[in-house]
Amino acid sequence: MKTKATLLLSLLLLLLAGQTTTAQQQRYTVSGYVKDKQNGESLVGISIGKSGTTIGTVTNQYGFYSLTLPAGEHEIQFSYMGYAPYKTTVKLTKNTTIDVSMEATSSQLNVVTVNGQKQERTVNTLNTSINKLDIQQMKKMPTFMGEVDVLRAIQTLPGVNTVGEGASGFNVRGGNSDENLILLDEAPVYNSTHMLGFFSVFNPDAVKSLNLIKGGFPAEYGGRTSSVLDIRMKDGNNQHLTLNGGIGNIFSRLSVEAPIVKDKGSFIVAGRRSYIDLLMKPFVKGDMKDTKLNFYDLTAKANYKFDKNNALFVSGYFGRDVFGFGKDVNMNWGNSTATVRWNHVFTNRLFLNLTTYYSKYDYSLKFTNDSKKKPGEVEQAYDWTSNIINYGLKPSFTYYINSSNSLHFGVQGIYYTFKPGTGTSVNDGDVRVKKITDQHALESAVYIDHEYKPSKKFGIQYGGRLSAYQFIGNGNAYMYADTTPGIRKRLLDIKQYGSNELIKGYYYFEPRISARYAFSDEHAVKVAYSRTTQFMHQLSNTASPTPLDIWTPSTNNIKPMVADQYTVGYFYNAPNDAYELSAEVFYKTTDNQVDYIDNANLQLNPLIEADLLPSQGRAYGLELYAKKDIGKTTGWVSYTLSRTERKTPGISMNEWFLNRYDRTHNLNLVLTHTFTKRTSLSANWVFASGTPGTFADNRLEFQDWDIPYNSTEKRNNYRLPAYHRLDLSMTLKGKQLKRWKGEWVFSLYNVYGRRNAYTIYFKQNEDDPTKREATRLSIIGSIIPGITYNFKF
Amino acid sequence: MKKSLLFILSAVVAGLTACEDKIDLNIAKGTSYPVLDAWITTETGQQNIRFTMSVPYTDDNPAPIINDATITLTDLTTGTSYPFVFKDKMYSYDATSKPIGVVGHTYKLHIQYKNETFDAYDSIKRVPPIDSITYEFKKKEEALSGKEGYYAKFYAKDIAGGTDYYWIRSYRNDTLRRLEDNFSVDGTFDDGVADGIPFILPLQEGITDYQKPFQLNEKVIVRLSSLTYTSYEFLKQVNDQVNAGGLFAKVLENVKSNVENTTANGKIRILGRFGTSAVSRAEKTIIK
Repeated sequence: MKTKATLLLSLLLLLLAGQTTTAQQQRYTVSGYVKDKQNGESLVGISIGKSGTTIGTVTNQYGFYSLTLPAGEHEIQFSYMGYAPYKTTVKLTKNTTIDVSMEATSSQLNVVTVNGQKQERTVNTLNTSINKLDIQQMKKMPTFMGEVDVLRAIQTLPGVNTVGEGASGFNVRGGNSDENLILLDEAPVYNSTHMLGFFSVFNPDAVKSLNLIKGGFPAEYGGRTSSVLDIRMKDGNNQHLTLNGGIGNIFSRLSVEAPIVKDKGSFIVAGRRSYIDLLMKPFVKGDMKDTKLNFYDLTAKANYKFDKNNALFVSGYFGRDVFGFGKDVNMNWGNSTATVRWNHVFTNRLFLNLTTYYSKYDYSLKFTNDSKKKPGEVEQAYDWTSNIINYGLKPSFTYYINSSNSLHFGVQGIYYTFKPGTGTSVNDGDVRVKKITDQHALESAVYIDHEYKPSKKFGIQYGGRLSAYQFIGNGNAYMYADTTPGIRKRLLDIKQYGSNELIKGYYYFEPRISARYAFSDEHAVKVAYSRTTQFMHQLSNTASPTPLDIWTPSTNNIKPMVADQYTVGYFYNAPNDAYELSAEVFYKTTDNQVDYIDNANLQLNPLIEADLLPSQGRAYGLELYAKKDIGKTTGWVSYTLSRTERKTPGISMNEWFLNRYDRTHNLNLVLTHTFTKRTSLSANWVFASGTPGTFADNRLEFQDWDIPYNSTEKRNNYRLPAYHRLDLSMTLKGKQLKRWKGEWVFSLYNVYGRRNAYTIYFKQNEDDPTKREATRLSIIGSIIPGITYNFKF
Repeated sequence: MKKSLLFILSAVVAGLTACEDKIDLNIAKGTSYPVLDAWITTETGQQNIRFTMSVPYTDDNPAPIINDATITLTDLTTGTSYPFVFKDKMYSYDATSKPIGVVGHTYKLHIQYKNETFDAYDSIKRVPPIDSITYEFKKKEEALSGKEGYYAKFYAKDIAGGTDYYWIRSYRNDTLRRLEDNFSVDGTFDDGVADGIPFILPLQEGITDYQKPFQLNEKVIVRLSSLTYTSYEFLKQVNDQVNAGGLFAKVLENVKSNVENTTANGKIRILGRFGTSAVSRAEKTIIK
C-alpha cells in the first residue's frame, strides 16, 4: 500500500517537473464561465478550443473553464450540442477573462461540428463508466403516470437495474442499493423515493442534469462503493421570470424562476404535491376517514455572482411522505438537505469550489387509541422517531497548469449523528422512553488527481484518496463473543465512551487511475482501476428497503466496506456525431458487505450488531451501449450481461450465492421519434432476467401452519420469471405562443399489461387452507395510463 | 407494529395496481425431514403431539404420519413423567383430570426414533386472564378493508414486573382452524416500552380477519398463551414466514428446530419445535 502511494507521488512530481521545464515560451490563460443566453444557466461540458488545432478544454461542473495558450492572437471556439457555436478572437498579452453566453438552437436536430476541437464526446474524455443525462433527454422518455423521473431514467442505462417495480433504490454493477452515493447539489440524499419507491424525490423542474459514475471514480468521490449519482439543480433563470408547471393524475408541480439581479443572480423555487387522499376524501367514512396518503417536496436554489471571481449558491430540498388513518395512526418520513457553495477564482488557473452542506433523513411513527377509546379504557399512545444527520465541508480545487495538465485536489469532512430510535409510550399517564444510544462518526479525506493529456491520443488521470473514518463518542461500544457464524452473537460487555472519544478508527488509501488511448478521432480504449470504501450501511433484509430501514455507521463490530473495481472499455463515435457506441467490461470485488443471520431483528434493537454478518462480494459484467442524439429519431439501446454474488459464513452452506438483485441479462431500448415540431412519440422497452429468489421445496405442518422450508439450505436458488415491459408516450405541444408554452403528455406504462413478478411466496389458500400455493406478486399488474399537462410561462 | 403498518401502507399503495396470482413452479423435490409439532399447555383435556414427515410445499396431501416413535414428556421440576401414546394419527396423553403444565416448571421432551434419541426443552411462563371480548358492526365504507361485518376486540392486561411474551391466536366458531396470530411483549410490540398495561389497540383488534370479519351468530374464540423468549422468537419467525409477501417481503429463511439429536454420531435431524405455554381462553357469540 505504502509503496503504491510513493510510486504515484513520484510519478506526479516527475510529470510536473517535466511540464515546468518545457514551458519556455510566454503563455497566458484565458478563463471564464459559459452560460446559456436565454436563461443564464451555467453550461457544463462545453468544448473550448483553439481553431484549427486540437488544443482545448471543457467547462467544469460549475461552467468554468481555463485554457492556457502562447501569447498572441487566437481564434477560440465554444461548441456544444444544441447550441449555436460561438467564436471569438483574443489577442493574448496577459491573462484574460472571457465569459460567454451561448444561444440554444431551436431544436437539437442540427449537427454541430466545428473544425479542430469537437464538442465533448465520450470517446474524447478520460473517464470511463460515466453516463450523463440532461433533463431534456429525460423529458422525452415515456413516464410512469405521466411523471418525468430521474431514477427511472437512469435504470435504462447500462449497468443499472432494480429488484423490481416500486422498489426503492437501484443497483449499479452488482452493488447493493445502499452503495450508491446520491448527491443533490452535493448533499447526500438517504432516501431517494416517494411513496415507497414509485416516484423519485427529485423534482424534474428543478433538475438540470445528472452524472452517473459507475467505475473509474475520480479521487474527489468517496464514501460509497458502487456508484455516484450526481444530480445538479438548475440555477434559475437570470433573464426573466419563468413559470413551469404540470398537472397530472398523481400530483402537480409548479416552479418559479426569476432573476434577483439580471445577469447576476437568480432563484428557483419548485414544489410538488400528490393528492390521492384529497380526491378520495369525499368517499370514505369510519376507519378510513381522515386517511392521509400523500407526499410533497420543495426544492429551492438561489445564486448570486458578486464579481467575475466570486459566486455564491444556496440550495435546499425538503420532502415528506405522510401516511395515516384518522388520528390513530400517523407515519411520515423524508429528507431535508441544504447546500451553500462558493465558487472562487483565485487566478485564471486556480479555481475553488467550497461546499458546505447539511443533510437529514428522519421518520416518525405515532399511534394513539384516542378516537377509538371507549369509556373506562385508559389512554395509550406510542411515538417513535429516528434520524440521521450529517454536516459536510468540502473545498475542492482545480489547478489548470497548462492545456495538457491539471490538478484536482481537496479535503472533505463529514460529521454524522445517528439517532437510531427513540420510542415513547404513554399508558394512562405513565410515560416510558426506550432509546437506542446515539452514534457519532467523523469521515474525512484528502485527495488529489492529476489529469495529464500529453497528446491527442493519450491521456491519463491518476491519483488517490486518503480516507479516515472514526467512530466516536458519546456512545457505546458493544463487545460480542465469537460464535458459530449465522447464530446471534452473545454480548460480553458494553463500554461507554465520552464525547468525541475515539471508539474505533479505520484508515485507507484508495488509488484511482483512468487512462485513455485513442486510435483515431473515432476510436478509443479506456482502462480504469479504483478502490472505494464505505462507512455507512443501510440495514434491510426485506425484498426492498423500507423507509424505516435505518442507516448505521461502521463500528468496532461492523467493518467498513472496501471495493476494488477494474474496467476496460472501447468507445466509438461516428465521424458526424450521428451516434456513439461503447462496450465496457468490469470486475469488482467487495469486502465486508453487511449480511444478516436468519430471523435477524433490525428494528429498535440496541444489540443489532449481534445479528449482522460480514460477507464478501464479487461482480462482473459486460455493458453495451449505443446512442443516437441527432436526427428525427433519437434514443439509446443498452445491454448488460452480468453476475453479482456474495459469500457469507453461516449462510447458504458457506458457498457463493446470487444477490437478490442479480439479473443476467438486462436490455433497455429508449426511442423517440419527432414527427412534427409539435408531435413526438417515445417508446421504452425493457427486458431483464428474473431476480433470484429462495423457494420452498418442503412444508412443515406445525400448529395449523404450513411453514415453507428450503431443504437445500441454499439461498436464492431459483429465479423469478423474466421481466419485460413496454411503455409509450406521446407529446402534443400546443401552439407555442411567445410566452405561454403548453404540452399534453399521454403515457401508457406496461402497454401489454404483463404481470411481472416482484416476488414469489408460498402460502395456504385463503379460502381453503388445505390447498398450498406458490403466489406471484406483481406490483404493476395492468396497463397504467397517465395524462399530464405541462406549461411554461 | 411498524411492520404491520408498512404492510397496510404498501397494500394501499400497491392496491391501486398490484395483483397476486397462483403460479406453477418447477421446484426440485427436496429432502423430507421428520417434523415435531408439540405444544404442551396448562389446560385440561387431551394433550396431543404430532410427528410427521415434511412434504413438497405444494403437495396437498396431508403430511405422512410417523407412528413408530416413542415420546415421553418429563416435568423436570417435579420429576414426573408423562408417556405419550400413539393413537389416531397423534401421540397423546389424557390430562382430563389434571393438567400437565404448571406455571414455573421446566419440561423435557424425549423422543426415540429409528434407534436415535432426541431431547427438547421449554418452560412455562405466567399468563393473565382474558377479561372480555367486544365487537362492533362496521359498514363496508367504514371499514379499513372495505368489508362489512363485526370487528372484535379482546381485553387483557399484561402482568406487571418482568418481561412477558405472549401468543394471541383467534378462531371462528371452533378451534379446528386458526384465524389470526399475533405476538406481544408486555402487551405491546417491543420490550422495554411498557409494563403491566392493557394490551394495546392493534393487538386488541388483531383477532379479526379484516378481509373476512365476523358475521352474526358466529363465535369469536381467543386463546392467549404465555411463551418463553426462545419460543416467542421461533413463533414470530414462523409467522413472518407464513405471511411473507408484499413490497417488503421477508426472504425465505428456515426456522430453526429446538430438537437436539443426543445420539453419538446421530444422523437424523428433526425439524419443528417443542414448546410449552400457560393458556387463557375466552369466547363470545355475535348477536344483534
